Amino acid sequence: MQITSEYLEQAIEQLAKLPGTGRKSAQRIAIHLLKQNDEYALKLANAIVNLKEKVTRCSTCGNISDKDPCNICENPKRENGQICVVEEFNDVYIIEKTNEFRGRYHVLGGIISPMDNIGPDKLRIQELLQRIGGDENINEVILALNPDAEGEATSYYINKLLKQYEVDVTRIAYGIPMGTELEFIDEATLSRAFASRNAF
Amino acid sequence: MLIDHLEILHFRNHHKTVIDWAPHLNVITGPNGAGKTSLIDAIHYLCMSRSFVSTSDMYVVHKGESYFMIKGHFQGQIRSQFDVSCSYSRGEGKKIFVNDSPLERLSDLIGMVPVVTLTPDDKKLTLEGPAERRSFIDGFISQISPAYLRNLIEYKKIRKQRNTLLQEYRGPLNVLESYLEPWNVQLVEAGSKIIAKRYEVLENFKEYLKKDYAMISGMDLSTNLEYQTFCTPSTNVDDIKSQYEKELDRVLDKEIEREITTVGPHRDEILFLLDDFELRKYGSQGQHRLFALSLKLAQLHYYSDELDDLPILMLDDVFGDLDLHKTEILLQALEHHKGQVFITSANPIPFGNFIDFNDPDNQYYTVQNAKVTLTNRP
Ligand SMILES: [Zn+2]
Repeated sequence: MQITSEYLEQAIEQLAKLPGTGRKSAQRIAIHLLKQNDEYALKLANAIVNLKEKVTRCSTCGNISDKDPCNICENPKRENGQICVVEEFNDVYIIEKTNEFRGRYHVLGGIISPMDNIGPDKLRIQELLQRIGGDENINEVILALNPDAEGEATSYYINKLLKQYEVDVTRIAYGIPMGTELEFIDEATLSRAFASRNAF
Repeated sequence: MLIDHLEILHFRNHHKTVIDWAPHLNVITGPNGAGKTSLIDAIHYLCMSRSFVSTSDMYVVHKGESYFMIKGHFQGQIRSQFDVSCSYSRGEGKKIFVNDSPLERLSDLIGMVPVVTLTPDDKKLTLEGPAERRSFIDGFISQISPAYLRNLIEYKKIRKQRNTLLQEYRGPLNVLESYLEPWNVQLVEAGSKIIAKRYEVLENFKEYLKKDYAMISGMDLSTNLEYQTFCTPSTNVDDIKSQYEKELDRVLDKEIEREITTVGPHRDEILFLLDDFELRKYGSQGQHRLFALSLKLAQLHYYSDELDDLPILMLDDVFGDLDLHKTEILLQALEHHKGQVFITSANPIPFGNFIDFNDPDNQYYTVQNAKVTLTNRP
């Protein structure tokens, strides 16, 4: 085979590194891009550059943002005394979509996992304590971490540190996904749902 | 529970095999290496998501092929009919489907079709180290308690995290202790549940073992089990938890020094006793063999009482080891058992005398070069 364009080849190579993209799809995408007008290609290239250059992390909550502090931390309406602690910024995105939570967030930037060489010192836990001791008037910390061993360890560790502050520590309830029949729920989820059942 | 239809593709020495099974006794004979064990190992995959012979999925793929596929149709009490299939390829890994919908975790399969296997490897149960006995009891309980299996998986993960922390952490001791605490709490929680369940099941299992050893040996020696863990075992989880916490506290310095978790159900032992003598130390070869056989028969009878669906029973090449009298006793026990049974043997001789192959519930198969033939009788 003779390569007629090194540039096409380079584009395919880079695209093939995207998650869920093999070499074949990378080829399709590259050829598709080649057929588009210049304006579109420039917009795409700019979007990628901006993603890396302009998106930063909010120094208060650790969420991704175009400015610091982020929209949520800056919004006085979100100052209701609640902080929701999550593992990563994508969790903020998911919770925001529900429109249920009107407080602010704290993104840990990971989860305690010795096997991945992540100890409490590598997470934004000190920053959380500073916020609670600061002037945000926080009265409730809601732990919204995954219900696995690492999430439990992280919740436990944070809860213990928070005992020295006058805040309520709560955690989200683990229940049965909507529209799922009981028969198809695994036993661990079901027993958790029982443990965190509430009055009818 | 029974499997009435099996299809296998590129599995061990079978290229493509389709077979209908009888609801009671299925006897499969043929020369060594013909593919008898592969047939029941394929069924085992549909029950336990893995082989009972090979430790790696890779090795059971037919030579020159890139994947294997096993599909079975089951009938039972709780679910009247369902299909289970298992596929494996090097790229995609292993996948299990129940009625064409994929299982999120392979472990969700365990217990759906309970199975008991008797194999020549059973001798390891009484002869080798405690890991063999833990793995027996874990497989045993996991099939009747999904909660137990979940706790085992959790416990293993927590212990791994905790061990890594003990190995990798370099810093002040009080910080290490605060880092260990979230793992200790979870280790105690999962570990105590495992111990309580092991104790509960083993206490009941003892009685089954006594009966089955007496039946198969025809002798008056009394069997017993002794479950040994770091504390006084009981069925009370809170009671174990408080002992566990104290013990973890006590060994903390040693664990930090040795950089490993030393307390928990991963170190448990089950002693087998014959008339109060420890089998492993004092048992004769014959006693070992009969004890191992009784363990599996007792598992069968325990399941049969405990579960709504009778388990599938597999006997792979175990008759070659038994004299005619024991063969007769065992075959009578199988005849008596109402569930589905699979027997493989190189030697067809004993079966004709003890099994009624005119009964449509029983079936006789011969295997030659991975080709299965239905025959009326041996
Ligand atoms: Zn923010």
